[in-house]
Amino acid sequence: MRHSILLLTLCAAPLLAGPPAKPVPDRNLGLSRTSVFDVPVPPLFHDEASAPGETPLPKRINKEYPPVIPHGVADFLPITRSANGCVDCHALPGPKQKGEATPIPASHYVDLRRTPEAKGEALVGTRYVCISCHVPQTDAPPLVASTFRR
Amino acid sequence: MSLQLTRRTFLKAGFTTAAVGATGLPLEALPAEAKGWNWERGVCRFCGTGCGIRIASKEGRVVAVKGDPQNPVNRGLLCAKGYACAQILYGADRLKRPLLRKKNGVYDKQGDFEEVTWKEAFDVMKQQWTKAHQALGPTGVAVMGSGQYTIMEGYAALKLVKAGWRSNNLDPNARHCMASAVTAFMQTFGIDEPSGCYEDIELTDAVVTWGANMAEMHPMLWARVMDERLRRPDYRVINLTTYANATSEGADLEIVFKPNTDLAIWNYLAREIVKRGAVDQDYVAKHCVFAAGAVDIGFGLREDTLKAYPAEKDTLARQKTVVLTRDEALARGLDPEARHERAQAASNNPQQHWLITSEEFQKGLEPYTLDFVARIAKGDPDESLEAFKAKLVQLADEYANPKRKQVSFWTMGFNQHTRGTWVNEQAYMVHLLTGKQARPGAGAFSLTGQPSACGTAREVGTFAHRLPADMTVDNPAHRKDAEDIWNLPPNTINPKVGSHIVQMMRDLEDGKIRWLWVQVTNPFQSSANANHTLEAARKLDNFIVVSDVYPTLSAKVADLILPSAMIYEKWGGYGNAERRTQLWRQVVLPPGEARSDVWQMMEFAKRFTLAEVWGEQPVPGLEAPGYTKGKLPSVLPAAAAQGFKPETTLYEVLFATKAAKATAWPDPVAFDKPNSTVTHAKIHWFPEKALFEEYRRFGLGHGHDLAPFDTYFRRDVAGLRWPVVEGKETPWRFNDQYDPYAKQGSGIDFYGTAMKKLPSGDLSGPKPGEAKALPGRAKIFFRPWQEPPESPDATYDLWLCTGRVLEHWHSGTMTRRVPQLHAAVPEALLFMHAKDADRRGLKAGELAWIESRRGRIQARVTLGGRNKVPRGLVYVPWFDEGVFINKITLDATCPISKETDFKKCAVRITKVV
Repeated sequence: MRHSILLLTLCAAPLLAGPPAKPVPDRNLGLSRTSVFDVPVPPLFHDEASAPGETPLPKRINKEYPPVIPHGVADFLPITRSANGCVDCHALPGPKQKGEATPIPASHYVDLRRTPEAKGEALVGTRYVCISCHVPQTDAPPLVASTFRR
Repeated sequence: MSLQLTRRTFLKAGFTTAAVGATGLPLEALPAEAKGWNWERGVCRFCGTGCGIRIASKEGRVVAVKGDPQNPVNRGLLCAKGYACAQILYGADRLKRPLLRKKNGVYDKQGDFEEVTWKEAFDVMKQQWTKAHQALGPTGVAVMGSGQYTIMEGYAALKLVKAGWRSNNLDPNARHCMASAVTAFMQTFGIDEPSGCYEDIELTDAVVTWGANMAEMHPMLWARVMDERLRRPDYRVINLTTYANATSEGADLEIVFKPNTDLAIWNYLAREIVKRGAVDQDYVAKHCVFAAGAVDIGFGLREDTLKAYPAEKDTLARQKTVVLTRDEALARGLDPEARHERAQAASNNPQQHWLITSEEFQKGLEPYTLDFVARIAKGDPDESLEAFKAKLVQLADEYANPKRKQVSFWTMGFNQHTRGTWVNEQAYMVHLLTGKQARPGAGAFSLTGQPSACGTAREVGTFAHRLPADMTVDNPAHRKDAEDIWNLPPNTINPKVGSHIVQMMRDLEDGKIRWLWVQVTNPFQSSANANHTLEAARKLDNFIVVSDVYPTLSAKVADLILPSAMIYEKWGGYGNAERRTQLWRQVVLPPGEARSDVWQMMEFAKRFTLAEVWGEQPVPGLEAPGYTKGKLPSVLPAAAAQGFKPETTLYEVLFATKAAKATAWPDPVAFDKPNSTVTHAKIHWFPEKALFEEYRRFGLGHGHDLAPFDTYFRRDVAGLRWPVVEGKETPWRFNDQYDPYAKQGSGIDFYGTAMKKLPSGDLSGPKPGEAKALPGRAKIFFRPWQEPPESPDATYDLWLCTGRVLEHWHSGTMTRRVPQLHAAVPEALLFMHAKDADRRGLKAGELAWIESRRGRIQARVTLGGRNKVPRGLVYVPWFDEGVFINKITLDATCPISKETDFKKCAVRITKVV
């Protein structure tokens, strides 16, 4: 699967720049390399299942993008008002110690709506649902390469 | 001037809200400036929340975005999609040159895509336009627009299609998104868009979500709800839904109801409010009237079965005749043992409504007892009836409590509904009865899905029936207003409403539309019953142009693909769900030969002379006072009197007007930012500003006032909620303490004017007599519960609901090119109950066939995760073109709004062997 996606991305490369490309049939365009009349067989992907700390932290996209979740999440979700499996481990003062979870950063203790100048004691409510911003991962490779530069 | 300001001054300016008048100041210096990052303000590309965003660029590329801490919508936060607003620009397959289907060097519908110049692209596009126009007139061509159009793009499209081509075949994907909200606003209040604002979240006592999975679809509003819930023990969150979802996880009370029975639940609530004496009698007496409408209105399906697949015919038959179920008979107060056949006689006039008395209103509610509603509405077969009843009572306790305020939010669960207009109106029914509308912290609040569904689709009016500022093409006074502002000869604008987007697809299939330009949308993936539309697009004699940034599924279906500029590669503006208009500057240049949509429309307009479009034109079915039947008159003589020549182009008449050319570029407001529309058009005026300023004239003094273009770029402005009068925005409309249009001293003034003169009657229909004017009043509608057009049966035994996921935007064309978002949710899964899967021999991860009367596809099963569906219902997101769920869905619509119901049809699931 990984191999065929790479190959297909390369096939599309002539479209990107340079001299006029060879004619491209519509099936070779876009995210599904099929005719719109086909019924494709969806590939099988697996959720990341490692325990926290098992998988090295992936490189961040940049300082502004919330880090993705490097470990499995099945045991920690859902986040409800009474239970937040993420906070249970990540609510640490920091800086990060070896073997500990990544601490929730200071920014998450500042209430930007009410008291933007003050560091609070608790995780701000607007940041309580961690998975609104921090996404879990599967083993799916990119569909299309990205030219975004970090 | 301001360039000389010190860093310290910038910082100070950044944290003041006083009117400093510092037009064009750049953002305050930020720590990241050390990396050479240059920060600019903008808006998120995605949902209708309208989060403020800051965009960092370096060496001509966007390198990062962050939430704008100054923006009151989101105060510095974004969701996982919002933070990806930088990455969405940089998929490796960005379209950079026009692509045309060719064989042997010339256009051929059966050809493969070849790169062509813009000149060749526009040449062929124009030849094909002329071919369709000569054969069919203005109704043979169409533009599908978007709630993701910038305000300026939507306005340019409106002018080109309605003033230039004299066609009304312009309709946005927003038809699929919030058309039902619009029709309900118009019928209830006589004016479009919400009375409330997002501060209602902090000011209310309870948030009730109805068919709105806010935790995934409006995450930054949900963040505000959760924030409030966590700090206030008496704050309540109630989630009404057809399956347990992410919003349920933060809710105090979850009510899972059977698809379509939301109407019955609202009527139960209204009945309880009346019975408990919880009606705010003063509010109702001063500000409301009661109304009812036609009930046998069909389902917006095709009237004919000429193109139908054999399996579709039984569902289509319900468009003509419905035999009431036992429960429907009970709900209408009829004998449940007798057979009641109902011709859907009002399907051609579904919007008709009239005044009724309070007694008639109560008579309508009478069948909706707790016992009856609980029995028909319980959505989880594994929940006991008593437990479900107890929840309904809790819900009634909340709404009927005069000491507590509620905000009811809804999104697609209501709007994408064959009774979408009605169910929207029922939310207002309960809020008006209890006097909890248009007051801070209290109101029924329709959220929108798209970033400018309000700002562009609705306010600009890029619908088949609309003009800016709530005006319509079938109203002579409105046409005259538009013709005056646009400097058009009288009777230029076509008075016949055009085809809405669902009808456009049917017209394409029937050969009535043969030229189509798709802008900022992916309709061949997003429209229901897609097998029909794909066949129509690829196998019939028509020409389809798709302007987009990536090769979407619609681009694959097209004959010509035009590469477009993306959000931060052009000047633009969006309007969000709380009426907040937000404008942004261009930050970087579009790649390759990609061009802004405004440039594309202006350039294409150069290829039309008035002689081609303003002569007499055939319009089948046109009947309007002052017009010959079936014809638009020639306006060329009147145009000549205005100084236009037959060879004058639409570009000169519509875009490069005297006023527009006086809007100079370069402009100090740009603060040295580029404008690629200007560069590519080789002009010295500012099209986006000129379009905005002209558009603004429509709303001034009509309750739709926008501020001048430059105001939105002020350092102390993070968008403004219209009406903006004397520099002041309006947080709550219709409330005399906040809205300058509400009559002082009235308290509440529902001043909208549309549909405010009505005859009187009873539940069965209007009676002869004088129509009564209703100044200042809103309508409390009685609307009955009915069965949907298609329900599970022995063959197709499960409900199918479709929708979105947090990580992907609509059809996934942007977010699926962001590696971490794709890796988070790489494909659309089939959410099933474990027992339903087990009965079919299916396990998690296995492949299943999903089949309806309209087609079949494959998907992989999931039994848990974020959506926990009850037995009898399955859920499939629609972002994934590889799991093309709209081949399965039903193209039934709300007959009033014409919005498709993507939330319910019948399917069967089998294991792939």
